[in-house]
Amino acid sequence: MVEENHTEFRKRDLLFTAALWLLSLILPDPHFPYRRELIKRRDLFYLGALFVLPLIWSSSHFHHLMVLAGIYAILALGLSLFLGYAGQISLGHAAFFGIGAYTTAILTTRYGIPTFVAFWASAVMAAVFAYLIGKPILKLKGYFLALATLGFVEIFLVMVRETPALTGGVIGIFGVPWFSLAGFSFDTYFKQYYLVWGVLIGLILFSKNLVRSKIGRALMAVATSEDAASAVGINVVQMKIGIFVVGAAFAGFAGSLFACIMSTANPEAFGLGFSVLVVMMVILGGMGNLYGPIAGAIFLTWLTDVLGRFQEYSLSIYGLIFILLLIFFPDGIGARLNIRLIYLISYWGRKKRREKKEI
Amino acid sequence: MSLLFADELIKNYDGVRALNKVSLRVERGTIKGLIGPNGAGKSTLFHLISGMERSDSGKIYFKGKEIAPLKPYEISRLGLARTFQTLQVWGNMTVVENVLTGMHTRLRGGFFSSGFWLPWVKRIEDEALKEAKEVLEFLGLLGKWTWPAFQLSFGEQKMLEMGRALAMRPDLLLLDEPAAGLTPAEVQKLADKICQIRQAGITILIVEHHMGMVMGVADEVAVLHNGELIAEGTPHAVRNNPQVIEAYLRGKKVDA
Repeated sequence: MVEENHTEFRKRDLLFTAALWLLSLILPDPHFPYRRELIKRRDLFYLGALFVLPLIWSSSHFHHLMVLAGIYAILALGLSLFLGYAGQISLGHAAFFGIGAYTTAILTTRYGIPTFVAFWASAVMAAVFAYLIGKPILKLKGYFLALATLGFVEIFLVMVRETPALTGGVIGIFGVPWFSLAGFSFDTYFKQYYLVWGVLIGLILFSKNLVRSKIGRALMAVATSEDAASAVGINVVQMKIGIFVVGAAFAGFAGSLFACIMSTANPEAFGLGFSVLVVMMVILGGMGNLYGPIAGAIFLTWLTDVLGRFQEYSLSIYGLIFILLLIFFPDGIGARLNIRLIYLISYWGRKKRREKKEI
Repeated sequence: MSLLFADELIKNYDGVRALNKVSLRVERGTIKGLIGPNGAGKSTLFHLISGMERSDSGKIYFKGKEIAPLKPYEISRLGLARTFQTLQVWGNMTVVENVLTGMHTRLRGGFFSSGFWLPWVKRIEDEALKEAKEVLEFLGLLGKWTWPAFQLSFGEQKMLEMGRALAMRPDLLLLDEPAAGLTPAEVQKLADKICQIRQAGITILIVEHHMGMVMGVADEVAVLHNGELIAEGTPHAVRNNPQVIEAYLRGKKVDA
């Protein structure tokens, strides 16, 4: 009986193999082969899917969600460089997001500067702040670093609330114009979708280059063993400051887009809860992988939207889902999804075979 | 002038004197062995030289420059590479990436040039890859260059750590117990490699428990005992030094 099972060729096996092969084309690679190529075949698949998605699924609500997810993904991407690659904890990313949003809001509403210029100014502003903050606090490690960055968010919020002349205080700034470029205004969610995801793709390419260069190697070295990193001549503190500044600049871009799309900047949006949400996006999506935080951002944005319908239960469901995900996908959705799917498919195969045998 | 000169180093740990006025000279182009029983202060001396810890008094000169006040990464940039007693290979990176990281300071490129992947960054990366493969070929790891480093065996990881240090093109290579935990065959291979590295013009300082290897490879051996340097000289002289036999080998004669 057993031998028969082994030798027997089934059409279904062929089907499963084909399904696995198709999945292997599109799912992120969990292993770490030498990272040299900038673009792989599956990246083209993602790109195509991103391009046609809003055309097929043309509900305005979906476009809005994807715009938000794209902005959060930019933020999470910047944080994942710091958290996933350099292995440092920051709970202060929301502050840089806020700095980006306020810079754009102030420049466009008070001084009438074009949004495109304000967009770059936001990133520069966030980067400058990150450098000034990072210089003293990045000598800290682990929990102390987390606490210091957490303090930074609180200080930022207090400063925003207490300087109404500049930031509009608790009420915030309204009437930020749509993002426009050379006379073309991004005034619908559909157009904004392409704007946000276009920016995201540019930043992914930048990050991919960074990760496969000597900088990326140095970052991963710092994350694993700082002693060994300094033994090969890597200036550990300088590396951490550098990647902190890059992550903050990404957050500045995201904040600027956020201000343009929401047409407002107010302190409610940049609190500690938001910082934690971004960290959750990176952790749930998968650290040490550039697609992970994007998957995490899309997933969490969608989840928040769905759970919004169950007002009073939403937080407990939220917590439950987090716990389950961290149990079953400990290294992130991006890194585990294909392993889980392959397991499931082979499990279905075995189950059907077992059932047939019993009959 | 000696390549490395440690002058009367003193180091205390909470009342325990780990090093007591230890002076050590390493001449250019030689292999120096540093032996001693556990707790003799060998690793402390290594940490002081590579800048991971500060001495309480004394000076260290490398290429005639005082390095004691410098940070570890500044010392390694001067051309001093080291390996670790406890393996410090970056397991989540591939084998070749480990070696490439060793070249960090020799490669040009910052955050912007790397992020935009400027044409010369690509050229430098290609050259670096070629060189890293040469290092791996020398160590016999070329067949596994795309493996994640944690999948290598213990002996191979030790080799990889040495390869990472070699990729820095150092003037002085500090090896901290390179033979610990290796099989006899691997130790023999390691000894061959160490001799070949010396022929390439790199000075080596080895801390080692494996008597046979040190005695076979080193031009000169220094013996530490309870934080003091009790003997220094050729392996033959040290082996027959009564003080060494008394203090370190407890009366037993050194084999090999």
